[in-house]
Amino acid sequence: MTAVPARSSEWVRPVTSQEPASAIIEIDHVSQVFQTSARKDHLALSEISLTIEEGAFVSILGPSGCGKSTLLYIVGGFVNPTSGAARMKGQAITRPGPDRGPVFQEFALFPWKTVLGNVMYGPRQQGVRASEAEAQSRALIEMVGLKGYEHFYPKELSGGMKQRVALARTLAYHPEVLLMDEPFGALDAHTRTRLQNDLLNIWERDRKTVLFVTHSVDEAVFLSDKVVMMSKSPGRIREVIDIDLPRPRRRNELLLDPRYQKYVVDIERMFDESDEAGPAL
Amino acid sequence: MMSPATLLRRSAPVLACIGLLAVWQAASLVLKNDSFPTAIEAIRAIPDILGDKESLINILASLRRMALGFGVAVLISIPLGLLMGRSRSVAAFFNPLLMVIYPVPKAALMPIIMLWLGVGDVTKTLVIFLGVSLPVIYHSFEGAKAVEEKMLWSGAAMGLSPAQRLVRIVLPAALPEILTGCRTGLVLALITMITSEMIARQSGAGNILFNALDMGQYDTVFAMIIIVGAMGICFDAIFERVRARLVRWSEPQFDLPLSFS
Ligand SMILES: Nc1ncnc2c1ncn2[C@@H]1O[C@H](COP(=O)(O)OP(=O)(O)O)[C@@H](O)[C@H]1O
Ligand SMILES: [Mg+2]
Repeated sequence: MTAVPARSSEWVRPVTSQEPASAIIEIDHVSQVFQTSARKDHLALSEISLTIEEGAFVSILGPSGCGKSTLLYIVGGFVNPTSGAARMKGQAITRPGPDRGPVFQEFALFPWKTVLGNVMYGPRQQGVRASEAEAQSRALIEMVGLKGYEHFYPKELSGGMKQRVALARTLAYHPEVLLMDEPFGALDAHTRTRLQNDLLNIWERDRKTVLFVTHSVDEAVFLSDKVVMMSKSPGRIREVIDIDLPRPRRRNELLLDPRYQKYVVDIERMFDESDEAGPAL
Repeated sequence: MMSPATLLRRSAPVLACIGLLAVWQAASLVLKNDSFPTAIEAIRAIPDILGDKESLINILASLRRMALGFGVAVLISIPLGLLMGRSRSVAAFFNPLLMVIYPVPKAALMPIIMLWLGVGDVTKTLVIFLGVSLPVIYHSFEGAKAVEEKMLWSGAAMGLSPAQRLVRIVLPAALPEILTGCRTGLVLALITMITSEMIARQSGAGNILFNALDMGQYDTVFAMIIIVGAMGICFDAIFERVRARLVRWSEPQFDLPLSFS
């Protein structure tokens, strides 16, 4: 069961609202101050508190420079917050670990490794036997739609293909949480749509917790259970909106759905309001 | 069947060599100077040198020093350069030191080194070592500094320790740059090898050359220049082959991009 599925519902678990949702990530009064070159402190994040439930697809939406990446890096353990704490399953996050898998806008593939080598890297590091790691990785490569490209180097791939490899590479070591920082931001519109669809397919299959940073309202509403809207200078949470749309979601159906349209319009309006309130940038 | 263009490109180095020798031959016939033998006379002297046991021992001794100086320099310089590129404090410590050593011609240090260590192998090898180290350190440093941080983060998320990240991410990522430094280092090794033998005349290829000059054996002098030059060209060509193979992944020699999302 590996091919990117033409949407079939057999493996799509229904959303079970009866199960008590348990928090997997807690962000607790996190603030981040950066020293800028002018020796002035820049408050990038101010008192962010947020709880992310296990299995949820949560988007962080906000204008460029509002601290979305910084917040994600703190959850990843790549950056330590100036104050406050992030916790994963109750444990304070102090450094990166294989339970939290990042996917960056810049892909960050290992250019000296082939597609297969990149995807196998994590499992091999975790001590999985080479033959087993290879079999799993080949299945993942097929799942992200890159069968036949196993022995290509990143240089030989287009942006969309690279991001597929990056996603497979991260999925390969089975992180409990996916941390995606504008993963489709560098791609053209058509490619982005395809990758959004494929990501949803994959996600609806195994329901990993996803923290997804984006500045696109459509993307956030289309993908998420919950949209966290941030505002800028200092970075604050402005609003948390539950996206109550049925799954599995199909793009062509959703675009015609008045509920979807309303979410998009409402969120865009909120952004416009905050633009008027704040200083024009 | 090769196209005419490919054929021309492949044979260009050979044609250049033949052209150079032809110009040399003509110039020497016109100038008729004792200290400027013709190309043919110089080439004729090559078998005598390479057939002579004494000369061969000298040349091999040179090559051994060059290999040792180059090898040790590379083994020390790459880790040092990589550490400097990834650690601010290591860079802060070594940078001033290297900035002082960098512009000094390494051969100019030889008199002092000779004073301390004599005129033997150690002195000459040390000078080669110094000549090779700086470009290799510099390029390793630049290569390590340029490694994308997100790549290291990806490795950290997979569970690589800082030391593992240095060896398994920074080193391969910086390899193209490191090998550029090594290539420069290889040519410098040959240059410092001959220079060191000019200053401390005792054995080696440089010694044969300058002895012949003292004795007015100009065909031998020019034959040695051809031999040393040919060695340099061969080393560089071999190294370039190895380099190209090692970093094939970094060069866009394939037809790309594939149009696919
Ligand atoms: N390492 C850093 N040093 C100084 N300032 C930083 C650093 N990282 C981010 N910033 C600043 O913090 C703010 C938030 O950045 P970021 O998290 O990248 O925002 P976003 O991802 O929402 O665009 C920006 O003003 C940015 O300039
Ligand atoms: Mg960002």
